[in-house]
Amino acid sequence: MTIDDYLKRISDRFATRVLKSRKNNGNRAYVDIYPKDIIEFAKFLFKDLGLRFNIASAVDDFDGIEILYHFSDDRLGTVISIRAILKEKNDPHIDTITGVTSAAWWIEREIHELFGVEFDGNSDLRPLLLPDDWPKGVYPLRKNFVVPKRDSRKT
Amino acid sequence: MLSRRITNGRGSRSCLVKDSSVTVTVEKPHVAVTDRRNGHRNLNRNQAERHRMHMKPLEYIFLFLIYPGFLFSATMGLLVGWVDRKVTARLQWRVGPPWYQNFIDVAKLLLYKETLIPKGASRAVFLGMPALCLSGATLASTIVLVVTGEPDKGFIGDIIVIAYLLMIPSLALMLGGFSSANPLASLGASREMKLMLSYELPFILSLIVPVIKSGGAIRLGDIIIKQQNSAPFITSASGAISFLVMLLCFQAKLGHIPFDMAEAETEIISGPAIDYSGRALGMFKLAKAVLVFAAPVFIMSLFLGGIRFNSDYILTGVLEYIMILVLMIVIKNTNPRIRIDQAMRFFWGPVSGLSLISVILAYLGH
Amino acid sequence: MGLKEKILTKSIYAFHLSSGSCNNCDIEILDCLTPRYDIERFGIVLVGSVKHADVLFCTGSANRLCIPRIKKLYEMMPKPGFVVAWGACGSSRGMFKDSYNTGLPLDEIIPVDLYIPGCPPKPEAVIAGLIKLTDKINGKIRR
Repeated sequence: MTIDDYLKRISDRFATRVLKSRKNNGNRAYVDIYPKDIIEFAKFLFKDLGLRFNIASAVDDFDGIEILYHFSDDRLGTVISIRAILKEKNDPHIDTITGVTSAAWWIEREIHELFGVEFDGNSDLRPLLLPDDWPKGVYPLRKNFVVPKRDSRKT
Repeated sequence: MLSRRITNGRGSRSCLVKDSSVTVTVEKPHVAVTDRRNGHRNLNRNQAERHRMHMKPLEYIFLFLIYPGFLFSATMGLLVGWVDRKVTARLQWRVGPPWYQNFIDVAKLLLYKETLIPKGASRAVFLGMPALCLSGATLASTIVLVVTGEPDKGFIGDIIVIAYLLMIPSLALMLGGFSSANPLASLGASREMKLMLSYELPFILSLIVPVIKSGGAIRLGDIIIKQQNSAPFITSASGAISFLVMLLCFQAKLGHIPFDMAEAETEIISGPAIDYSGRALGMFKLAKAVLVFAAPVFIMSLFLGGIRFNSDYILTGVLEYIMILVLMIVIKNTNPRIRIDQAMRFFWGPVSGLSLISVILAYLGH
Repeated sequence: MGLKEKILTKSIYAFHLSSGSCNNCDIEILDCLTPRYDIERFGIVLVGSVKHADVLFCTGSANRLCIPRIKKLYEMMPKPGFVVAWGACGSSRGMFKDSYNTGLPLDEIIPVDLYIPGCPPKPEAVIAGLIKLTDKINGKIRR
């Protein structure tokens, strides 16, 4: 199935719940959705279309925290990315997709500790990469994070 | 039918033949032995036997420590190790280290690096194993070299003693690994144990073949003399097969590729020797050097007739030594490392079968 | 140049310690052992265990989780031992100076004896740096 077939099937299935669908080049496409629909989209792409859940990425943008879920067809090299924008930056919530695919456990841990996004339903949100003595509530990859200035002549 | 025992003044063993007309005496020719230490008198047979076996303790210590024991074997072994590294480098189109590199490595470890003992290790075993390894290897090398140089100087059963002594370095490395309180060292030591269990059978079987072919002599000296009087054993079918088997067993015993999974460097980080440093590590490396030097000499004396130290044959002896060394290095450089279960299947399957065939062929006289 | 310095500079067992590197410097370490540059002719080999090592090749900017482990590994190296900081990351954390995860530069964690700048350093630079390390060893121990 080419990427146009995939996009057609997605828009057939979720008619109005696809906010925007854009094809980037021959191999990549971005599909914008409401954050509350993420589980259904993930289930459709993973189980019905047979794509692989690759990774998720997040950015602290002007509109909110934008999370991209990348699903790929490895035989053709196509990647379809589902974009969900979380508008409240103070308390971002989104449903977890670990019920759909267990490949999502660790990346949700990482996004949680670096951005502060709460994944509802994920029982295991321990820190993954940051050291144990990192202060709680400080999220390094947010734009309002400031690296503490350090005079390197002092130890 | 009359039979008489014929004796002469010096004692003889005679066999009696039923025909009374002929009595044949079979005796070992008795060369006159003079006791030069106590008044230069001729000894009779029993006195000569006891005199030969009583060297002074100082002579033993010289043999063990200086020549051909520790100092000589270690020096030659480090040089042989350098040949190995240089040939490997050349095969990979590199330049390779200079000739004194191994000496400097061992000197640095022995003299200038500190020895660290891990926290949960049992101290006596941890520090005692390198000494055991080095002394076992040196003793085996001493016996092999002394007997190869002068085939009369061995004792009955010295082949069995050498086979036992050659097991000691692997055992010591294993025990050192187990006493290191380190899971990777235990993994390496268990692999070493499994490897030993697999290659010891073909080793002993291929050791039996020269024993059978030299008429049941279990003295290394007699095996060498038999080969020097007739053809070297490798020219016969059973000798050639067991030469090959013994070469493979020594590749495993010395821990060379393709059988170095016990000390796999990139996989389990030097295996049993992972927690050793300084002098202890230096002693392990010296023991390996001694073994690498003594192994081809042992193979030569079993299958190729040893080295004869008269002028014509010494060059052939050196060339044969170099040939065996080159065979080992080439096998080392052209093969990947195999897994421990593949090694066990290899040694218990084809190699043991080959050595059994060679024993049967030797027994049938080929 | 006494015997000790001569022996310590002619036989160097190197242990490769990578703490959060992009792997470019790690590839350059292997690059130096290839036939074109071949640092084994100087007596330098890579060893697997830190207890066999004389020199730590430290690549990568040390992230926060690695700091206690780097200290432990430095203590596990039998002395006399030396530390070589590879690349821009090893010298001063390079472009990751203002990152949230690189707390300290390497020379504030363990004492560094040689810096080889570059991103990644060319093998020629590495060899020149290692010669300078041998010069330093000769001068350092005599004191």
